[in-house]
Parts: sequence; structure tokens; C-alpha cells
Amino acid sequence: MARRQPAPKDTTAAALVCALAWAVPGAGHLWLGRAQKGAAFLIALPLMYATGLWLDGQIFPFDFAQPLVALAALADVGIGAPYLVARALGVGEGRVVAVTYEYGNAFLVVAGLLNTLVVLDAYDIALGRK
Amino acid sequence: MMSSHVGSMLLFSGFVSLVFALLMKDEVGEQVRFGAMLFAGFAAAGVVLGWLMFAFPL
Repeated sequence: MARRQPAPKDTTAAALVCALAWAVPGAGHLWLGRAQKGAAFLIALPLMYATGLWLDGQIFPFDFAQPLVALAALADVGIGAPYLVARALGVGEGRVVAVTYEYGNAFLVVAGLLNTLVVLDAYDIALGRK
Repeated sequence: MMSSHVGSMLLFSGFVSLVFALLMKDEVGEQVRFGAMLFAGFAAAGVVLGWLMFAFPL
């Protein structure tokens, strides 16, 4: 039996939704009419990122001599606008001697990675797969 | 500044559980059940691993 394929959708529009979802966490879902999920992402993910900064976490630099640091930097960027705002404000330097430093890093990195999953979810919705 | 390890772990678990519940489930009831189960799993695993590390320090 042939597997049912989802109806083809406009991939350009889906890519724009991805860009929007990356830039503002939850905005992709809000744009696609998933108000409950979008609002929850819009509040939870920036709050998680802010908690990471509050816990003296570090926004890692793109240092390709240290691959794990570069990967952490890539994950940090995943949160979108909060990353840009934090960089513009000069926060996220990190305080290595703080007892919460590693926790802060975990919050920052995971918030970025979770937003990346949210972007992929928005892409699936935009293409009609969900 | 929050310096409680358990507090930080529970806060982290709460955020991750919330996002995964919303991503994985579509109905509100399912989201609440799945999120609660995930949160409980995180918390229990944290406590169990904490005790194991106490007995077998790295």
C-alpha cells in the first residue's frame, strides 16, 4: 500500500517561518496559528536564557581552535534575538569562579538547542507534516 | 543568586519538560501528563545519580 504523502507546501514560506521562529522564539508557531504553543515558547525560552545569564553563565565565543567551545557558541546562537540582545548589552561574559557558572552555561546552551527544535517543529507545521 | 544544586536542577527540568511536552503532544491534557512524567523522571534521575556519585565519586 502506498504511503500517503503530505500535500506539498511552499518551501520558501516555510523557510521564512523558520527564520521568524529562530529570531523570536515561538513566533513561528504564533504565525502558523498555534497560539498556545507559541505563547508558551515565547515566554519559556527567553526566560530560560535569561536565567542562564542570571546564573553567571557565559555566551561562548566562536573559537574554532576549541571545537567544543565553538559548538557551545553555535548552540547559544540558536535562541535568536535574546542572543543578539545579550551581545549588544555586553552581558554573558560569564564568571568562572561563580558556583552557578556551569549551571548558567547549561541553561544558555540548552535554551538555544530547544529553540532549534522549536524551529524544526515550526518547519514541519509549515510544510503540513504535523 | 540561587546556589542550590537541587533548585537549579529542578528549574532546568521544568523548562525542558515544558518545551518537550509542547513539542511532543497536541492536546492540553496529554501535554500536562507528559510534562509531569518527564519532570518527575528528570528529578528522580537527578536524585538517583546524585546518590550513585556519592557512593562512587569520579
